[in-house]
Amino acid sequence: MSNHVKGNTSEDFRNRASLATARVAVYVILIFITLLCVVPIWVMFVNATRNTNQINAGVSLLPGGYLGRNLQFLLDKGLNIWKGLFNSAIISLSTTILSVYFALMTAYAIEVYDFKLKEFMKGFIYILVLIPTHTSIIGFYQYVAKLDLLNNYIPLILPAIGAAGSVFFAKQYLESAIIMDLIYTARIDGCGEFGIFHRVMMPIAKPGMFTMAIFAFVASWNNFFTPTMLITNTEMYTLPLMVKTLRGDTYRQELGAIYFGYAMSIFPVIFGYALMARQIVNGLALGSVKE
Amino acid sequence: MPSTATSQQMPAKGSIKLKRGGKVQKDYTAYIMIAPFLLAFFAFGFYPLVNTFYLSVTNATLMKKTYDFNGIDNYLSVLRDKFFFQSILNTWKIWMMNFIPQVGIAMLLAVWMTNSRLKIRLIGFWRAIFYLPNLLMPTTVAVFFSSLFSIYSPVNTLLVGQLHVFSAAVDFKINEPFMQGLAAYIQWWMWFGNTLIILIAGMSSISESLYEAAMVDGANTATIFRKITLPILRPVLVYTLITSLVGGMQMFDIPYLLTDGRGSPNGALSTLMVLLYRKFQSSKGPIGIASTVGVFIFIITGIVAVIVFYLLRDKDAIAMRKDRKRYAKQRANKAKGGAAR
Repeated sequence: MSNHVKGNTSEDFRNRASLATARVAVYVILIFITLLCVVPIWVMFVNATRNTNQINAGVSLLPGGYLGRNLQFLLDKGLNIWKGLFNSAIISLSTTILSVYFALMTAYAIEVYDFKLKEFMKGFIYILVLIPTHTSIIGFYQYVAKLDLLNNYIPLILPAIGAAGSVFFAKQYLESAIIMDLIYTARIDGCGEFGIFHRVMMPIAKPGMFTMAIFAFVASWNNFFTPTMLITNTEMYTLPLMVKTLRGDTYRQELGAIYFGYAMSIFPVIFGYALMARQIVNGLALGSVKE
Repeated sequence: MPSTATSQQMPAKGSIKLKRGGKVQKDYTAYIMIAPFLLAFFAFGFYPLVNTFYLSVTNATLMKKTYDFNGIDNYLSVLRDKFFFQSILNTWKIWMMNFIPQVGIAMLLAVWMTNSRLKIRLIGFWRAIFYLPNLLMPTTVAVFFSSLFSIYSPVNTLLVGQLHVFSAAVDFKINEPFMQGLAAYIQWWMWFGNTLIILIAGMSSISESLYEAAMVDGANTATIFRKITLPILRPVLVYTLITSLVGGMQMFDIPYLLTDGRGSPNGALSTLMVLLYRKFQSSKGPIGIASTVGVFIFIITGIVAVIVFYLLRDKDAIAMRKDRKRYAKQRANKAKGGAAR
């Protein structure tokens, strides 16, 4: 009897010991992956504050004192990074506003109203999300060229109205956020259908809109392929295009300046993420998992 | 029963055909609301796609305004191009080298992080850190990793000068398997956090009592994972696989910017989109042929997506639905028979 109890406790102890070992192992792995994620970004930012000699001398995790000089070098060589930031911001903000507003409206109509195309639209959105859009870039390019809209921001901004991914997300979100009774009440109170959408639905859907806005903004901010095809005028370059030109010969000798440009292109997103990481991560989980 | 009374007065969701002002039916509002989306989609999504298919059967170039129908000439010329097959191979290789570890590692991490016995802390913190690379500009990530591994690079100064691992600088950029591996690693680096978050969300929706019941029945961890976690995660996994596949077949930024933009070394980084872009950029700008490459990518993606959907369809659910239908039919028949008698 006493043997039995003893056996049990030692097994229990072994279990607990192995659990503790497993826990330590998991933490070690998590810390290792954290370093994999953070160190490259950190090195980029550190190098942005160092000069070429320091960078060539070796990798360091401590910043140097050449931040201002590196920025000055880029500006002197005619790479107006402020202009790039401005251009990117204009495009990304307009894209975000259009895609969030129209995606929410489309999803709202599909969810709330009963119309002939309702079921069709539901299936249609699912298929649209999966269409590999970049494959039709040549057709897009040729048509934009025919309309004489190359080197123009319109073809980068207007397609946001037809962003299927945003509608998909908005639909997922509205399924749980719509309160039909509120809509009926508003209707009885004499509110028009668009009024209900603007004054009743949009305030309720704010958290979802916020998530949609973040993802639309980041997607547009990071977009390289479409602007590469459509924009050749360096005055109109967005940040990704500037980052690409940084690899050219003009800057070869100034490594610090190159890293400064790289860091500059991702800093706004990292800054925003630092402030809102929780909402963004939760929003991502919310949008992709249903059923 | 006040609640039923109100619900009878209120029209049920989805049946709002109240007339407004006596004339206007509300479905029109729905059409007005979806119209901007549909118009924009047809103008910027559908028409370019049709136009691409159309251009793929013409000899259009950027140099001249007019072009003629040339049948399947472009298709034959693309199929005869050995770079085309190399690009298909590269695209798949890089995508698989990224996707398999991506799902594997994300799955492992998700299992650990949701395990009720391990009780890992700071889940929110780890998730936030692991997701960060996904938000970074792929352009910057690619050129940054490219500069890390160039011959006068931080990695070389670290390995040769600081850690003395190698005696001379290594030219990583001419090593084909290394560069393909690096492209795959960057994709992994940028996407495993995204997959992790989706998997954690899927796993935390699984009820704890299911696991407890299985443990009481003596199931071990592997069995629980295979028989409970995986089947419930199936839709999430299919979603991840399909979206990653569609994205992977269009991989461009990273292989394009990692080396010289021509898929060096030796075409090892020439993915299908890089090939498309190079055709577009080559002399005279043969957009007919470039479109053909686009059509091929479209078709390959479509076929594979359909196959994946078919292979991973939920057989149990389909069988159950069929059974239910058959049962309903039998009952209906019986009822009819009964009525006739």
